[in-house]
Amino acid sequence: MADDEIFTQNPINGSINPPFAKKKRSLPGTPDPEAEVIALSPKTLMATNRFLCEICGKGFQRDQNLQLHRRGHNLPWKLKQRTSKEVRKRVYVCPEKTCVHHHPSRALGDLTGIKKHFCRKHGEKKWKCEKCSKRYAVQSDWKAHSKTCGTREYKCDCGAIFSRRDSFITHRAFCDALAEETARISASSHHMNNHAPANMNFQFIGASSLGPTPCMGQNFPPIFKPIASDNTNINAVHIRRGLSLWNMAQNPGQTQDYTPETLEEMHPLGINHVSLVTINNFSTHDSLITHPCSNTPQVSNFNHLNWDFGSKLSSNNGTQDLANDQSGLPLSTSDIKDVSVPSLFSTQHQIISHQPSSATMSATALLQKAAQMGATTTDPSILGKFGLNSNESIITVQENSFGQVCGASSVSSELVSAEENGLAALKQSQMHPSKRHRMMNDEISVGETRDFLGVGIQSLCQPPSINGWT
Amino acid sequence: MIQEEGSSSICSSPLQKFSMMSFSPSPGSPYPWLREMRSEERGLCLIHLLVACANHVASGNVENANIGLEYISHLASPDGDTMQRIAAYFSEALADRMLRGWPGLHKALNSTRIASVTDEILVQKLFYEYCPFLKLSYVITNQAIMEAMEGEKVIHIIDLNCFQPVQWISLLQEMRARPEGPPHLRISGIHEQREVLDIVARKLNEEAEKLDVPFQFNPLVCKLENLDVEKLRVKTGEAVAISSVLQLHSILAADDDVLWKNSPLFANSPNAAHLRRVLQMNQQNLGDFVERDGTNVCNTSPDSSSSSPIPPAVSPNMATFLNGLLGLSPKLMMVTEQESNQNGLMFMDRIMESLNFYAALFDCLDSTMPRASIERRRIEKMLFGEEIKNIVASEGVDRKQRHEKLEKWIPRLDLAGFGMVPLSYHVMLRARRLLHSYNYNGYKIKEENGCFIICWQDQALFSVSAWRFRRRSG
Repeated sequence: MADDEIFTQNPINGSINPPFAKKKRSLPGTPDPEAEVIALSPKTLMATNRFLCEICGKGFQRDQNLQLHRRGHNLPWKLKQRTSKEVRKRVYVCPEKTCVHHHPSRALGDLTGIKKHFCRKHGEKKWKCEKCSKRYAVQSDWKAHSKTCGTREYKCDCGAIFSRRDSFITHRAFCDALAEETARISASSHHMNNHAPANMNFQFIGASSLGPTPCMGQNFPPIFKPIASDNTNINAVHIRRGLSLWNMAQNPGQTQDYTPETLEEMHPLGINHVSLVTINNFSTHDSLITHPCSNTPQVSNFNHLNWDFGSKLSSNNGTQDLANDQSGLPLSTSDIKDVSVPSLFSTQHQIISHQPSSATMSATALLQKAAQMGATTTDPSILGKFGLNSNESIITVQENSFGQVCGASSVSSELVSAEENGLAALKQSQMHPSKRHRMMNDEISVGETRDFLGVGIQSLCQPPSINGWT
Repeated sequence: MIQEEGSSSICSSPLQKFSMMSFSPSPGSPYPWLREMRSEERGLCLIHLLVACANHVASGNVENANIGLEYISHLASPDGDTMQRIAAYFSEALADRMLRGWPGLHKALNSTRIASVTDEILVQKLFYEYCPFLKLSYVITNQAIMEAMEGEKVIHIIDLNCFQPVQWISLLQEMRARPEGPPHLRISGIHEQREVLDIVARKLNEEAEKLDVPFQFNPLVCKLENLDVEKLRVKTGEAVAISSVLQLHSILAADDDVLWKNSPLFANSPNAAHLRRVLQMNQQNLGDFVERDGTNVCNTSPDSSSSSPIPPAVSPNMATFLNGLLGLSPKLMMVTEQESNQNGLMFMDRIMESLNFYAALFDCLDSTMPRASIERRRIEKMLFGEEIKNIVASEGVDRKQRHEKLEKWIPRLDLAGFGMVPLSYHVMLRARRLLHSYNYNGYKIKEENGCFIICWQDQALFSVSAWRFRRRSG
């Protein structure tokens, strides 16, 4: 039981289950009136590791911890026991005279708490965050901050940055910059009326291409109400953003003109922001490959339509990157960061944006068609018309291909020989027409009457009623 | 009709029109009717012209080839539709090949080129970004690694071309989420540029620290064919996984040189002289020839006593390389390669194969990126264009892009001592899920004998296969 008493002073692990009900945490600076007030000097508060082990030199803040450590070295150890039987609550005051907590009535109940308080308020800020310029006096504060710094950021258009969603929303509700913008686009509110449902649709379009729809649907924030003509409402802006993303999906090829950094440069409709890949900011810990769906916080981020326009993946920045990099190596980190850990969604936008016109045949289809045309014997293609001196060219072709040992498809070889004809004939055709005429006649009389395509002379004499290509 | 020169045949075909025009075009817009041509016609025309031109180049007929290129230049354009773009790059490659016939000229034109590593890396990243192939390869590789390394405590991964950290960042995250906890992970990245490896190292170290995974990155700066396996410092007890994404085929290039030296070509026999002449005419290299026609060469030799059977084409460099990797006893080796036979065939067949292959790739880009996109142009010019140039114009050791189909890789790897590991159902699931999530339309993944083939509209483009150490090669 003696050991238990010692531990109850510092309920570190909470391993002791008090028989009484767990005490609630009271407001800071409202101590128990019955408690014993302890005033420690600044030196004591800031002191760390005063107790040193003689064997390994490890430092401890409390003598008891050192004693326990000495057991590990097989050294004699002695744990002090609590002198008095009754438990007296201790509260601590801050030694700094100007501090609120200096007075016993505003003492803090926890030793660690008072230490941290002293460092934070009256201490030197020795720990600095790498990414931003924040400084901290307490190491644990610094660690906690650096874990979240830059990982999730909400940026308002006015430039304010928030790490918490709620504070961001609150800010936006009152932000001046937004009010300006909404006033400006109120003129085109009738457009928005028509497209407001599109905003909802957009969310689901986005969802369907991102993964299971329920993910998105659930996190659809209540703020996105379809708006009729509420100009001052920020929803209008949200819708416009949603609209622009939606528009962008419909308007391919407008990626070139993207430059804006401010609201002023954006048009109400047809906004060209490919980089409304605001999503880019989530990319720092979105792996390209893992799915966001299972990870709800990330999905909700998407709904927030982060307004960061600094996407490096936009086409404009593509050129900028190159321009910057021509000075040579090393590659700047930002480039790699943005290009090597791309967000899932940026590519998705790219894909949605371009819809090839159905009028143009794909290259593979063209190749297949060309191969077919070369192979068919009855198709009076253009090549047939050039197949006059076919025999000669066939022989040369065969010599060159050395017995056609290789596994070329018959189709392509026919195509090859067809082409041999075509160009040879082209060359011929540049000669004087009369000469050509004579040559043609000679050849017709000499050799066989059929060209390699099996098209006879008779068909050659027919007028070219067929285009030859279709 | 040809006889009717100068006839106003309204529906005459384009090639006819070419023939009717005088060779020297009039100043100003030479062929105004070109605009009237529908894109399909123009595409077909381009194909025919390209093939014809290639034929002439192959046979050394420079005059005709020149004319062909001239015609192509009026129709092709790197900013036009897919076929026009393809034609532009192929005609450039053909021109490059022709130019090599004048070595002095070729060297002079290419001597002041600025090789920018930044650009090369950037375009690789663009390719990764806009096409799903690399993403799929990474996903499949990672999933296969996760499955193979279940229960392993110390894992050593060797990346044969480590230029971006995405794949490994994702793997670190997956490792972290393992039920048995993250292993001790070592990644050895190979690349020719130290700076690239430094950046990858930093990114990976940051990620590992964030995720609290014991991690170590070893950069190895060297050319892949000069890889010294000892430098990888694989320790006993480590489970080794090797990831090769589009890298193995370049090793085949080094063998070209070797085969030439050991060939009967340099022997002093009439057989050799005959061979040399034949090969020169054909502009082939010996490697291809021997592989294909080993037996024929024997049979055609007049001197029967000296006709020792030429052994099947063993590529010594490749064998050494694979042997070195095998020596690490890898638990898993993931090989991603282009699925196309653009090596070891005759020139014309290389042209046709690569036309089909790159047509599909250009179509892929066309389906996802707008025409005006500068990134698309970059990928087309700096990645595909350079590969096409390499395939068409280079020969011998320089021709690094020696793509081969799985049907050739499988026996090669098998002979080297690797055993194929069929890729599991879960890997396929993840790969398909990736395609769906990105809304990539038109791409398909097929499974064939345990390997995956990534296709675009039924045209096979890339293959991914898994291998493991099976036995000492013999």
